Amino acid sequence: MKIIVFIEQIVSTQVKLQGVDYFDSTRVSEDDLVINPSSKNALEGALKLKDQLGAEVTAVCVRGLKPNKALREAIAMGCTDAIEIADETIYTDDPLLLAKVYVEALGKIGEFDLVFLGVEEQSTGSYAIGAMLSEKLGLPSVLYAEEIEVIDSGYKVGHVLEGGRKIVAMPNKGVISCSDSQYFTPRYTSMRGILTAKRAEIPKWTAADLGLSSSVVGKEAASLIEVSFSNIVIEKESYIIKEGEPEEKVENLLAKLKEDEVKLGA
Amino acid sequence: MVKTLVFGQIREDIIEENTLGVLNKLTEISGISEIIVALFGHQIKDEWITELGKHGASRVVSVKAPELEVYLSRPYVKAMLEVIEKTEPKLVIAAGTVYGEDLIPRLAVHHGVSCAQRINDISIVGDDLHFHTPVRDDQAMKVTRIEGAIKFATSRAGAFFVNENPDGGSPNVESFDVTFSEEDMLVKHIEIKKAERTVNLKDAKIIVAGGRGVGGKEQFQIIRELADILGGEIEATRACTDVHWIEETYEIGQTGQSVSPDLYIAAGISGAPQHVSGIKAKTLIAINTDEGAAIFNFADYGIIGDLHVILPILKQKLQG
Ligand SMILES: Cc1cc2nc3c(=O)[nH]c(=O)nc-3n(C[C@H](O)[C@H](O)[C@H](O)COP(=O)(O)OP(=O)(O)OC[C@H]3O[C@@H](n4cnc5c(N)ncnc54)[C@H](O)[C@@H]3O)c2cc1C
Repeated sequence: MKIIVFIEQIVSTQVKLQGVDYFDSTRVSEDDLVINPSSKNALEGALKLKDQLGAEVTAVCVRGLKPNKALREAIAMGCTDAIEIADETIYTDDPLLLAKVYVEALGKIGEFDLVFLGVEEQSTGSYAIGAMLSEKLGLPSVLYAEEIEVIDSGYKVGHVLEGGRKIVAMPNKGVISCSDSQYFTPRYTSMRGILTAKRAEIPKWTAADLGLSSSVVGKEAASLIEVSFSNIVIEKESYIIKEGEPEEKVENLLAKLKEDEVKLGA
Repeated sequence: MVKTLVFGQIREDIIEENTLGVLNKLTEISGISEIIVALFGHQIKDEWITELGKHGASRVVSVKAPELEVYLSRPYVKAMLEVIEKTEPKLVIAAGTVYGEDLIPRLAVHHGVSCAQRINDISIVGDDLHFHTPVRDDQAMKVTRIEGAIKFATSRAGAFFVNENPDGGSPNVESFDVTFSEEDMLVKHIEIKKAERTVNLKDAKIIVAGGRGVGGKEQFQIIRELADILGGEIEATRACTDVHWIEETYEIGQTGQSVSPDLYIAAGISGAPQHVSGIKAKTLIAINTDEGAAIFNFADYGIIGDLHVILPILKQKLQG
């Protein structure tokens, strides 16, 4: 059994960068690059099945500045191996182009059973990739999964739904996107995993290796085009208390609320 | 003029609220010429059509089939693609629910284009459409357009007001059949586990809400105690109801309840868009150990700190 997990590397949300160049590579250090938490949920989903069924799990990263670090972490968590597809030709802001790259990557990988993804591409805020990929592959899929159970015919999957949770059955081959439910809480890296990760050889594929040119996956091929991007001027000033002993913080808050005539309590 | 097709979503036997919001929004945009709604199901009810008319639909196209009783990607994509072919819209839009977000990108793929997601506005520029999406915890606005004959988009949950138009007409109704094969039904519906809604939080004025940062079922006690002192209600994120720290009825957000209190105290909540979309509070106070948590972007007041240290002190001071 083979599972492929597509992961995204992002600039940690802990990094406070002002302005529009939030993802500008020149402004972040390697320490600030992390795996998108949503991708970590997907890794956990795949690794749970690996524990249960003995699957091989390959992590693939197309998005990110130096994806090698993210991929080593994925191996340290328990992935069997990893592939880096770092190529500036690929315009990753359009989920359809990203889906095209994923499809070709899967083609080059060959046989696989399941594809796992996080629900959200954090650098673009897009939730489309899971749906687009499964549609392009023509494979059944369950998005926003919250739990997976192995059954004879494949998997019983519960997914997020307004007003509750929906349970469906899907066959052995397909695409699953994972939410950040308890079930998908990512595991930590293990000592053994870290050592394996250090030694691992991570192949680097380019767009050309996948038979893709910039006219297919480059910015010129994008159908989702950014017209403008602007910071929203926030009119309200938030009053956030960072300094002081806990007691002082609370007193500070209560005094400010009083000053602003905000009533606490009925 | 932009002919528009809306995915008509049904939830718990009525038209889903965000879908009505989308219709209302579309009626406000001059340049939208015709609002068509696609309805799918085992049955199509007359009252749904009346309701859609009241909110601006001028035409309803329905497909009735047992395979469409519950949303599943394949059969719905197939049916919707046929409706698109029959109605030739320029814009295809769905409310950004779990189903809407599932359907729209798939339709877009079949038309060889990408889609705009979670928009809170559309503007018509020349003969093109611009889609406005708030991003980065509402700190920035991204405007996009789609290069393609048909544009696909989802709205952001809770983005549009729902107003009934008393003059709303009765839409023209047409229906047709779509046949499905076994291939279309590879994913099978088993059941929907409905969250029990035992408490209605809509009118709550004061809310103390806990998130994953609360840390456990017993630890929720401090949230309850503070709510008691303030004369308010307790609430939580899906992360907490998922693990049964607290009953499902208290979930707030896109898939839980929506609230509009005077005061919302968010403790140990990161501020995920699906959670904050359910809150319209006059004053929001956040307590979180992580200075970078998105919730601070929505907060009027905040304390960076451990809720298990801060809340007991707050409780004590309030008790005086
Ligand atoms: C389609 C879909 C729909 C969804 N609908 C909803 C919905 O309706 N409602 C909803 O809530 N979620 C919903 N979710 C889930 C949502 O995306 C988030 O996963 C969820 O809201 C996160 O909950 P949280 O903030 O409690 O947990 P986390 O994101 O894990 O945040 C916990 C926070 O607690 C802080 N913290 C930790 N310890 C402490 C401490 N001791 N003191 C203070 N702070 C501490 C941390 O810094 C962190 O910010 C949905 C998801 C999907 C995919």
